[in-house]
Amino acid sequence: MAAAVKPSARKGPPRILRRAGRALGVPLLSVLIAFVAGAIIVAVTGGNPLQAYQALICGGFGLFCFGGEPSVLQLSNTLVFVTPLIMAGIAVALPFRAGMFNIGAEGQLIMGAILATTVGIHWSGLPAVLLVPLVLLSGALGGALWGGIVGVLKATTGAHEVVTTIMLNFIAQWFLRFLIIGGPLQLPGGSSKSSPIGGNAQLPTLLPHDNTIIFGLPGAVYRAHTGIFVALIAAGVFAFLLWRTSLGYEIRAVGQSQRAARYAGISVRQTLIVTMLIAGAFAGLAGAVQIAGVDHNLTDQYFSDTTGFDAIAVALLGLNSAVGIVLSAILFGALHAGGSVMQSDAGVSGNLVYVLQALILFSIAANFLRTVKLRLPSVGRVPLTPEADAAAAAVAQETDTALAGDDKDIA
Amino acid sequence: MSFFTDIFRLMGTPDLWHASLQYAALLLLPALGGVISERSGVVNIAMEGMMLTGAFFAVAVDLAAHNVWIAVLGAMLAGGLMALIHAVVSIRYRADQIVSGVAINIFAAGITVFLVNRIYGLSDVGQVPSSDALPNWHVPILGDIPFLGRVFFQQNIMVYVALILLVAIQIFLFRTRLGLRVRSVGEHPQAADTAGINVYTLRYGAVVTSGLLSGLAGAFLSIGIANTFVPGMTDGRGYIALAAMIFGKWTPIGAFVATLIFGFGQAIYDANSSIHVSQYLLSMTPYILTLVVLTAVVRRSSPPAADGIPYVPGAE
Repeated sequence: MAAAVKPSARKGPPRILRRAGRALGVPLLSVLIAFVAGAIIVAVTGGNPLQAYQALICGGFGLFCFGGEPSVLQLSNTLVFVTPLIMAGIAVALPFRAGMFNIGAEGQLIMGAILATTVGIHWSGLPAVLLVPLVLLSGALGGALWGGIVGVLKATTGAHEVVTTIMLNFIAQWFLRFLIIGGPLQLPGGSSKSSPIGGNAQLPTLLPHDNTIIFGLPGAVYRAHTGIFVALIAAGVFAFLLWRTSLGYEIRAVGQSQRAARYAGISVRQTLIVTMLIAGAFAGLAGAVQIAGVDHNLTDQYFSDTTGFDAIAVALLGLNSAVGIVLSAILFGALHAGGSVMQSDAGVSGNLVYVLQALILFSIAANFLRTVKLRLPSVGRVPLTPEADAAAAAVAQETDTALAGDDKDIA
Repeated sequence: MSFFTDIFRLMGTPDLWHASLQYAALLLLPALGGVISERSGVVNIAMEGMMLTGAFFAVAVDLAAHNVWIAVLGAMLAGGLMALIHAVVSIRYRADQIVSGVAINIFAAGITVFLVNRIYGLSDVGQVPSSDALPNWHVPILGDIPFLGRVFFQQNIMVYVALILLVAIQIFLFRTRLGLRVRSVGEHPQAADTAGINVYTLRYGAVVTSGLLSGLAGAFLSIGIANTFVPGMTDGRGYIALAAMIFGKWTPIGAFVATLIFGFGQAIYDANSSIHVSQYLLSMTPYILTLVVLTAVVRRSSPPAADGIPYVPGAE
């Protein structure tokens, strides 16, 4: 890969530090730029940015909690947000590696949650050892189905995945509404929610879920659950798949240049379909873990859920790598958990979190650093999608004119 | 079966067609914006966010100034400003235009509620009612024609504006020198540049225009139809407009035909109380329709050649 062919015999700090610096430079500066811009927005609208960020950090990481907020509870809440973000982030990152933009993680997550809930309700009699994996698998299946549609449409008709995923998101949301408002999954006598899944279908919480006093509060208030381990395993699987399997190699090859991949004997169509199937499975798994871990039933919250969109920021900030995704999921999970504390403690609207998220996206996408970098040669450049960006541009420019009309890319 | 008899019964009422045209006009404005932006070579999936921003500022300005026309102006400027961000990030900084578009949409969703909370208090997350509304125009004489008068000549002022803009933009893009230049910049910027056309200026202009039009649509929605601002009230209409643009093969007239179909779907949905089928299943139809059309029809059409590709002078 691009990283492997870089000359390593250079003076200066140890190689590993240089690599870490290169990888972290752009994301960290992007976050910094976003927070400075966010502070300006708060200040201009008559708020106190320092107070807002203090409350945000307290709510996200349990640090600087001057109002006596219980730190462990904040961390637990953050973990609840981080868990689905990791898996949804992978669902966006994997297609990015193949040169596709999956805006549909939200719809895939919802379909996963729907199928997981259905299985969790109907087979609630099964023992937990069987039922929990079954619920998670069916979630992955639901997501894979929704993602697979995108892959098949793209590979067969060339329908652009950005538009198809947007449409499929809406279809999934309306389908969910249909199911739980007067539909087959509605809780009898309830409104806008499904029946709960059986106790054997639930993932256990990290701390005992009863009235035992832990860190000064009853254990039941801590919602952090073992789904975080599912998420971390998923991240490991993603990294293994991408770098240690032939499928991962094919995905990366297609992402760099469809034409070159085709000449290497790779079926581009098949790779696009498989990529979207797997990506959808990760998003569906996120939905299943959310149901099995915290929510236990489908509620109207899923209408307005934004995990699948937040995942775009997670994947981009994490440079589409497993470690990066886990780290940026922690950041965005903390932001979301901190948002409500910021609203109640500092009186600054929790929606500032979305503003910050958008600002981070702008600054990664625009790579403002590029302008600065020209004057600072030591700051390495990490493009948006490390290989795809530079390599594809170079290949495309050289070969496009020569091979025009030969075989069109599935763009 | 009762579903179809319900639909047929509704189709005999002028109100259904009146509502269809109104919703079509609402989608047409951002769709026209999308056509202009993408014809100039800048992918724009941010009509949703620009529309939402416009919807908020229409209400906010109206509450401050008590004048709907100043409110419309405010909405257009707000939409244009959002578009300017998209333009700077994707033209000046050559960012991925889809990422930038996603960011605009997230930004709009966040900043509107943030401002609602700032200006009207944290408790007002629900709704902010406007004090004035854009007027309906009952066209003299023509408006009195039975049936057709109700459908075509008793519409909100914005419907007429949208239809006039439709004709104007179709003529602009395909019958004027400047329109030809905009299209050339979206097809082959290097050649246009060589011919002395300023690629960047035209692209900035086109993207900002798409924001002005989307902001106008936002005003139509918030102070023309709903008379209130509700967070996330655009509810995917910007995306439907995007679909209409593709559906219409990047032409104003084609997009209009598509918005008529979507508008009809929305009108049917609004009349759901007299249809015997789940309104939620019914609301899936425009999206399913888009998917089907995308796969069946659009295969044979393609976007402007340089759509989504940042222009780097001298590189080819």
